[in-house]
Amino acid sequence: MRCAAYLIAETADQALSLLAELDGTGRVIAGGTDLTLDSKLPETTTMVDISRVKDLRYIEERDGYLHVGALCTHTDLARSSLLRRKAAALSAAAASVGSPQIRNLGTVGGNVVNALPAADTAIALTALRATAHILGPDGPRTADLLSLYAGVGRSTVDTSREIVTGFSFPIPSGSGFQRLAKRKALALPVLNAAAAVWRNDGPECYDVGISVGPVAVTPWRADEAEAVLRGKEPTREAIDLAAHTALTTAVCRDSIRSCALYRQFMVEVLVRRALEAATSAPASATNASGHTAGPATTGNTPGGAR
Amino acid sequence: MSRHHLEFTLNGRPCAVYVDPGASLLDILRDDLGLTGTKRGCSEGECGACTVLVDGVPVDSCLYPAVKATGATVLTIEGMGDATRLHPIQQAFIDAGAVQCGYCTPGMVLKAKALLDQDPDPDEQAIRQAISGNLCRCTGYSKIVDAVQRAAQNLGDAATTAIAAASATTTTGVATPAPDLSPALTAGATPPLSAASASQAEAAPSVHSAAVSPAAATLGHVGTSVPRLDAVPKVLGEARFGDDLYVPGMLHAKVLRSPHAHALIRSIDTTKAEALPGVWGVVTSANVPGRMTYGIIMKDQPYLAHGKVRFIGEAVAAVAAETPAIAGEALKLIDVDYEPLPPVFTVEEALADGAPLVHGKGNLLLKRSVRKGDPAAAFAEAAHVVEGTFRTPLIEHAYLEPEAGLAMLDEGGLLIHSVSQGVHYQRGEIAAMLSWPVNRVRLKQATVGGAFGGKIDLSVHPYISLLAVKTRRPVKLVYTRAESMLATPKRHPITVTMKLGADTSGRLIAGEARIAADSGAYASYSFAVVTRCAVSAFGPYSVQNATVDAFAAYTNNPIAGAMRGFGTPQLAFASEQLMDMLAAKAGLSPLEVRRLNGYQRGQSTTLTRQVIGDPEGFLETLEAATEASLEWAAAVGATVSGDPDTAPADSDAPPKAAGHQGGDPR
Repeated sequence: MRCAAYLIAETADQALSLLAELDGTGRVIAGGTDLTLDSKLPETTTMVDISRVKDLRYIEERDGYLHVGALCTHTDLARSSLLRRKAAALSAAAASVGSPQIRNLGTVGGNVVNALPAADTAIALTALRATAHILGPDGPRTADLLSLYAGVGRSTVDTSREIVTGFSFPIPSGSGFQRLAKRKALALPVLNAAAAVWRNDGPECYDVGISVGPVAVTPWRADEAEAVLRGKEPTREAIDLAAHTALTTAVCRDSIRSCALYRQFMVEVLVRRALEAATSAPASATNASGHTAGPATTGNTPGGAR
Repeated sequence: MSRHHLEFTLNGRPCAVYVDPGASLLDILRDDLGLTGTKRGCSEGECGACTVLVDGVPVDSCLYPAVKATGATVLTIEGMGDATRLHPIQQAFIDAGAVQCGYCTPGMVLKAKALLDQDPDPDEQAIRQAISGNLCRCTGYSKIVDAVQRAAQNLGDAATTAIAAASATTTTGVATPAPDLSPALTAGATPPLSAASASQAEAAPSVHSAAVSPAAATLGHVGTSVPRLDAVPKVLGEARFGDDLYVPGMLHAKVLRSPHAHALIRSIDTTKAEALPGVWGVVTSANVPGRMTYGIIMKDQPYLAHGKVRFIGEAVAAVAAETPAIAGEALKLIDVDYEPLPPVFTVEEALADGAPLVHGKGNLLLKRSVRKGDPAAAFAEAAHVVEGTFRTPLIEHAYLEPEAGLAMLDEGGLLIHSVSQGVHYQRGEIAAMLSWPVNRVRLKQATVGGAFGGKIDLSVHPYISLLAVKTRRPVKLVYTRAESMLATPKRHPITVTMKLGADTSGRLIAGEARIAADSGAYASYSFAVVTRCAVSAFGPYSVQNATVDAFAAYTNNPIAGAMRGFGTPQLAFASEQLMDMLAAKAGLSPLEVRRLNGYQRGQSTTLTRQVIGDPEGFLETLEAATEASLEWAAAVGATVSGDPDTAPADSDAPPKAAGHQGGDPR
């Protein structure tokens, strides 16, 4: 890793004051699984390690919201029984990242600030309508998750001065996450998708969140697909229509991991499965998780983890 | 840049060391603390060979900033057991045959330790999940899963014994190995061997003497499973791979590689690099005193590019310096004036009229033709004919251990201690390069962390040899993963157009194949590989009237050379698909068409006319695989034909594998 010094902060305030002193040459590091490989870091960078700041590592339910500290590792999220029960999409997304070693170090805050359009936890948080909490020299602020994205690998969070402290989102009635990758570990996704639904007592969803990556330069919200289901009962027909709408509105690209055409078709499949998981709709005949010879699909299954 | 004073607990003891702020935990464990059991495989968190436990949690030490470990408790393979008292997990890896090349082993053992500390009785899925961030290129993982299951059993038994014995200490996942070690499990070991004296040969039998069965006592080891000779040093992390060699005063080498696929070298200026403080020597082709080129069959590859580069990654110059960082800086100071030439990237382009010539002569490297019987007449009689063109890509061996070695002068001349799959061949090439008598060059094979054919050719050897001779100091070179991928030989990309003809019953009577192999910039093993392609064109099927033409061409792609199977896997890709197509045409099942055509005892092979004597195993393998598949299908309720609609939701559990296999990771 390229850096001139490496400091360890014990509290968020200490980290902020170190960053202020460094006046732009400091850089927040948490798990470090991406940052240690960043060959473009200036050699004059001073790392400010925040991974020991204990009060930024929490998973709590409060006032109808779930609150997740930015320093929660992917392992923390994957193992949290609270998340598995109340935000299965996020725990499933976290469980699919990298490898056990990467998940033990990498944090959800880092996964968002690293700003890749198919970062698994970011896709789940997007569908969950998450708000980010940020602490800077001028005090705390909140921001819609998607507003943190300025482009591929570019975050609007200034990690030489600010710290992402956590995320919060309204507890969904159900949520699901699906991922297609060439292997089940250490493989970036060909495609991933998350869905969340919010219902009152009736069968109708008063709100729906659907996200897919990598479809755009940021995590992509399938607005039109969400609109298909909003206010409606998630019947098989409604889910199929929403999934198809996601297919027709997504603009997939070619990349080293997949051609655009394959991605485009798989958008419908993954969104449908994510919605089925989120709404506990009966599994369709195509919901088998693929053969061992094919690409690995992972995710939470319908009916599980409510 | 100031160094940090780092204090932490390492393998149960306090440790203090000064570290660079950007150093990884892996760097300081290996380079500063001399604990080379933690392996460097990729340096980017992909392979898991560098796994250590920090506060009981597995991490990739290559991605772990060393300073982050301040105050933490770190466990490496050296903290698990020693030659006198193997940890039960280490013993289980040996007993299960889970140790092959050994490069993934330390990381796997630590992963098993972390898992079993959390979950003393994991199921197979939990084990596979736990080791999912650790690559193994030798075992196929099954034996490692077996080993972890055995370890769980051993530890369970040990815990029971310990509780019965006295106040049991709960395993904390860290600290010294003592709490996990059961006296019962080590009672059979002979008197203690110090770690230093535990050479690879003597450690194994001493630890395993208790395991020898009565049958083995009378028949030797015939008919029994014996532990791998070097399994003990490998599970302990004591085996010395190329990158684990350190000698006082050694220099570190780096290689400057061509950014062009095809270019003339107008000039190379090394003066600035040589003037950089800390640089001891720079070599180019001008420093090669003897023969300029090498090659296992045809000597067409320069040790260092001479006048021309022919693929991206070809070595142009090499530097030896006090540190790898200085050597890296020096590479940037070497000025190479290239004149790019038009490259050729496919066999078709290479053999077209007027194609740029990779070497001075034509791009056709070799041709192999086989003729048998009267294929024209047989095709005319055939009731069913199937035909297709199949392409297979370049494949990298991706052994976990990158190429590495150390060369030094001593009283015997030059000693090269390095990765190798062919010490005698490589020694001869180095002697010819130096224009030294062969007996002045010795090549000692380091423990090899997987090779699969990819370490038969020279890799680090010429550079460290030239630099050691020039600087009169020991010189070490370790390839980066990217360099290993770029510069070493691959599996040949091949295009096959094949036609098979069968009679009305589906029995093959005629075959035709045209095989085009991309040898890349140099010949390497192409002559042997392409010959195998030709003579094995139709796989294990009897085709008594055949025409086969196989050839290889030079291109500006990476070099293709030896890799397991030696050309036959590419041909199987073609012939097996044609067999399926033939089955469909002839109204047979894929299994029936293979039973009908597979070689049987007494038949002669299609193309080499060898008479099959002892069963070669194909039909037996087919029957065993069929039986295993049916068993698996019955167990999980699937159909063997593989209809996706009827497959179970979780079809991840693989069918039980059956078959013949052999060989070792080299």
